[in-house]
Amino acid sequence: MKKYFKATLLGSALAVSAAVVSASADTIKIGFNVPLTGFAAADGQSALHGAELAVSQVNGSGGVNGSMLELVVYDDQASPKESGPLAVKMITKDNVVAGISGSYSGATRAAATIFAESEVPYISAYAIHPDITRAGDYVFRTSFMGEVQGRAGAKLIGEMLGKKRVVMVTLNNDFGKSLAAGFREQAGNFGVEIVAEYDYSIKDREFGPIISKIKADKADAIYASGYFFTAGPMVSQIRAAGLTQPIVGQEGYDSQKFIEIAGGASEGVMITTSLDRDSSSPETQAFISGFAKKAGYPADMVAASGHTALLVLADALKRAGSSDASALRDAISKTNLSASTGKISFNALGEVQKDVQVQIVKNGNWHYHSVISDAVLLAPPSK
Amino acid sequence: MLFVDLCIQGVIQGAIYALIALGLTLVYGLLRILHVAHAALFTLGGYVGVLVTNGSGSFLLALMTAMLVVGVVGMSSYTIIYKPLLNRTPLIALIASIGIFIASEELFRIFFGAYGLSYVSPPLQVQIEILPGISLSQARILVVILAVGLLSGVGWLAINTRMGIAARATVVDPQIAASSGVNVEIIRYGSFFIGSAFAGAAGVMVSLLNNLVEPTMGAVPSYKALAIIVLGGLGSVRGALIASLALGIIESFGTIYVGHLLDRDSIAFAFLIMVLMVRPQGLLVRG
Repeated sequence: MKKYFKATLLGSALAVSAAVVSASADTIKIGFNVPLTGFAAADGQSALHGAELAVSQVNGSGGVNGSMLELVVYDDQASPKESGPLAVKMITKDNVVAGISGSYSGATRAAATIFAESEVPYISAYAIHPDITRAGDYVFRTSFMGEVQGRAGAKLIGEMLGKKRVVMVTLNNDFGKSLAAGFREQAGNFGVEIVAEYDYSIKDREFGPIISKIKADKADAIYASGYFFTAGPMVSQIRAAGLTQPIVGQEGYDSQKFIEIAGGASEGVMITTSLDRDSSSPETQAFISGFAKKAGYPADMVAASGHTALLVLADALKRAGSSDASALRDAISKTNLSASTGKISFNALGEVQKDVQVQIVKNGNWHYHSVISDAVLLAPPSK
Repeated sequence: MLFVDLCIQGVIQGAIYALIALGLTLVYGLLRILHVAHAALFTLGGYVGVLVTNGSGSFLLALMTAMLVVGVVGMSSYTIIYKPLLNRTPLIALIASIGIFIASEELFRIFFGAYGLSYVSPPLQVQIEILPGISLSQARILVVILAVGLLSGVGWLAINTRMGIAARATVVDPQIAASSGVNVEIIRYGSFFIGSAFAGAAGVMVSLLNNLVEPTMGAVPSYKALAIIVLGGLGSVRGALIASLALGIIESFGTIYVGHLLDRDSIAFAFLIMVLMVRPQGLLVRG
């Protein structure tokens, strides 16, 4: 009896694994490296939800040319020493047709080099370091580079808000530094005088000394880079210290969690980002409602970016008609798609060209403030 | 004015460091172990503070619960991690401690979510003008009051009670203390309780100042508190307190005037290196 039981168990296990193998033979595998543990786990989780939503939307409407998409997900802890080997594994063991990074710049750069050398297409969903797309012509980016968003920030403060004396608070990593570079480059053109700039590290949550100094600087506006977990405490401490100047941030703030942390202090904070919550586009609305249902919390920028990157790839797979790497690469480069983060097309380097959304916190939610669509100002580097 | 303001910000940061560093220096004094997992107790304090405040609406209850819970967890960390390793070299206990600390970050993430938690309506946010032109929120003032109150309470216990005298004797020489009738185990449990409870209180206050407690909240204290006790002179309680305050103020000014060259941590460690070059034994010698 026992023996028989064991044999059936073994038999059914074999049958199950055979079923899995035969099912995966028909699917198109897409690699996805994303931080699911460690300091960036919250962003990673959101990006993964976004990508999974896109997969279920594509598969729900019949898949790509009759085949279903399958995400091959690996936790890279936002670390280059994890993402490098994972990229090799995705390409050689999992035979993915393409990879997507739902991770930060360090991890994305390491993986991008390997994808580029192996000539397998790779899309950075929201990592912003300029060198990512320079890894080779198989690498694309569906989010803005830091410099582009920094330039938009200068226009927003200097021209649209008419504020001229600005204090910069800069996160001292690649994200903050490239934003600051773009802002500084365009500040003069919009009549903005940078009164002072203070750097902080991603580990800082306590901004007392910087805020004391900003008080003494008597600026008209504050341009502060950061992620929701640094910007939330920063904005709440700025307002708690009695400073009332407009605060302009970027897509790193773009999460409901920022509003939760900063509370009432978040009201009126403006950001440059790629997700417009009040957009009338059906793609964006379907994403926003689908995401809230799937994840159980409101959509944010990284989620929309993960979602967009996957849809760009699915669209290119459809048009390429095969999963041949060079055909797929060519199809991606000719993308012209309406996705959750707007209308996507790429330049020669593989950088996205799209409008910058300005969102503002009103009554505890992100809302439309304006849109910046200046093709010259927002042009990403093309080599 | 800016000078005074920066000094005050430094004192607030120093008060937080002091609350964290006390437990670490007590444990080092008693067991010669670098208790890295202490920083996990700091984070735990933050979580208990947010959860109890949001659940009950009482911040005072949350602060007391956090100190009690974290104190008890701290005592059990002695039983579970350190006690079985006491007759091994301290390096093994250090590695165990680091392991527990890393695991704790992921446990916090699994139990409470990667996004961290915030106060639904943060208490103690009213601004009070303490000097002409300088106002601070009640929460910031409470940090300093709490640190001064708790730390001087412990100082009083150490000097004026039999228990305190026994504790100091155990630090100086555990074997002689034990043979003079001191129950060394009780001293150890008591020190773990007090040190951990204070770290818990610091965690609650930091979670309130940032309105955020996240799984990795202990990452910076895990190594900076080590720097503080080295700076103060390993095992010296008074030295650790002075070092906390000094570091708070150095960081406050450093962030503004050399922040574009060195970040907050680098400023702290540059200061540590400079002091150790002049005084390799730290600011004060253990006693």
